[in-house]
Amino acid sequence: MIVLHVRTGQAAGHLDEHARSVWFGKLDARAKILGIFAFVIAAALLTDPVLVMCALACALVTALLSRLPPRHLAKAYLAALPFLAFASFSVFLFAGFERGISMLARTSACVIALLVLATGTDTFELFSGLRRLRVPGILTTLLMLTHRYLLLLSEELDRMRTARRARGFSGGRSLLDVQAFRVLSNTAGMLLVRSSGRADRIFEALKMRGFSKDMRPWRETRIAALDAAFMLALVAIAASLLLLQMEVFP
Amino acid sequence: MRVLETTKLSFAYDDGTTALRDLTMTLDDGEKVAILGPNGAGKSTLLHLLSGFRMPFDGTVAVCGRKLEQQSADDIRRDLGLLFQDPDDQLFMPTVEEDVAFGPRTLKLDDIEGRVLRGLRSTGIEHLAKRRPHRLSHGMKKRAAIAGILAMDPRVLLLDEPTSGLDPKSRSELVRLLKSMDRTMLIATHDLEAAAEIVDRAIVLNVGVVKEGTIRDIVTDSKVMEEVGLELPAISRLFKELDSMGYPVEALPVSMDQAVAELTKVIDRVGRQARSRGVTKTAGQKKKT
Repeated sequence: MIVLHVRTGQAAGHLDEHARSVWFGKLDARAKILGIFAFVIAAALLTDPVLVMCALACALVTALLSRLPPRHLAKAYLAALPFLAFASFSVFLFAGFERGISMLARTSACVIALLVLATGTDTFELFSGLRRLRVPGILTTLLMLTHRYLLLLSEELDRMRTARRARGFSGGRSLLDVQAFRVLSNTAGMLLVRSSGRADRIFEALKMRGFSKDMRPWRETRIAALDAAFMLALVAIAASLLLLQMEVFP
Repeated sequence: MRVLETTKLSFAYDDGTTALRDLTMTLDDGEKVAILGPNGAGKSTLLHLLSGFRMPFDGTVAVCGRKLEQQSADDIRRDLGLLFQDPDDQLFMPTVEEDVAFGPRTLKLDDIEGRVLRGLRSTGIEHLAKRRPHRLSHGMKKRAAIAGILAMDPRVLLLDEPTSGLDPKSRSELVRLLKSMDRTMLIATHDLEAAAEIVDRAIVLNVGVVKEGTIRDIVTDSKVMEEVGLELPAISRLFKELDSMGYPVEALPVSMDQAVAELTKVIDRVGRQARSRGVTKTAGQKKKT
């Protein structure tokens, strides 16, 4: 998710703004996390091809209803597709076509649901939601700081790239261009040095303000009726799919 | 009361480069002091050292009567508010108000709401409370960082190049803000003009102390100015020109307030001279008739 936001660079800001403007983005992060995770766990446990297709359909409907930018969701899904396709192809080779397709549909359902969550929730809200759900502070703090400073480092990298181009560098497209590799490795080294320097300064800034180990969200939020309804709907879908899988219903 | 005191303070980096040598200085309660010097003079190192981030060092440092040591550093930091050169290093919370509240909350101080409000109000960024810090302009980020420090109500503000990277408008706004604050401050800067507006006293540093005194004492010492590569503030340059053009300046102004006072004197003097010349001329004409 962090990588998704950083890879889109400046777009991350617009995404966060868009996330806040649509109804899905306004939902409480905790409700979304619980609902989507319940759905993902259920979808991952499904084996019946029909139910897997149902789960995929549910994920697509959620994505449509969320009113998040479809192009961005499609782009992010396409970025994950090679990994999904590789896993499905392996299953296809060893267990046949039907299972391969089922695997692709199952992983796609999970990925689409998670992409809706990641794209449709302001990044910091998401981490705050995780912290409120009692995910260990050290983990959410690391996520928050990583996200905050990866954005800064990506900006730094952009500036270095511009500086390289401004001085005539245009290599890096061929694996045989040794000179380009030398320049790129120097850039990577410089970025590492700068990151290390920034890390030291951030640590000092944290210490100056009495930080020990946990960055808790300050303002408390309440789960409203709409948040609860969304969460319960997803939990109900997940439970139904699992019950159908276990053939509880006649 | 003396809030900060260093005695024969020396520090060298791991590679052996001397950053500070035999620095002895004091800062009294309510005083605003500037540390002036070129790049690499040890200004930032001094501030980080006073905050307990550069150890070990030779000599002694005492903050509010407590000796700075590895064990006491955390406690001493509660009395200090350090403004970093790059505000991005110290703004890490999702919203401005959460960032301002971060210090008071981690230090378990009372009345967090009130502290946040006062911090935001005194830096003039109340309207930015819900904004993302990383989306603000550089000037506003500096203000947010200062608000975060003020909310902790430290005894001493340590400001590292507060005016660097700011556009002229943001710079003058920040200078006005710092000038209006009734707090003890140690400002590391090479912006002589800004320092002249804010501080009462300055220390010129170039690894060791080169000169100590008022900004006027420093700018009128051309040897020191040349040695440390400092430039006269524009306002002082203007009055030097006026002086050379035959409008004598009593004391070289270094800040806008001083310049206004000095200019009033010059205009008054020139006006008086012109009037007296006019009177003499009229008297002469009357005699002739």
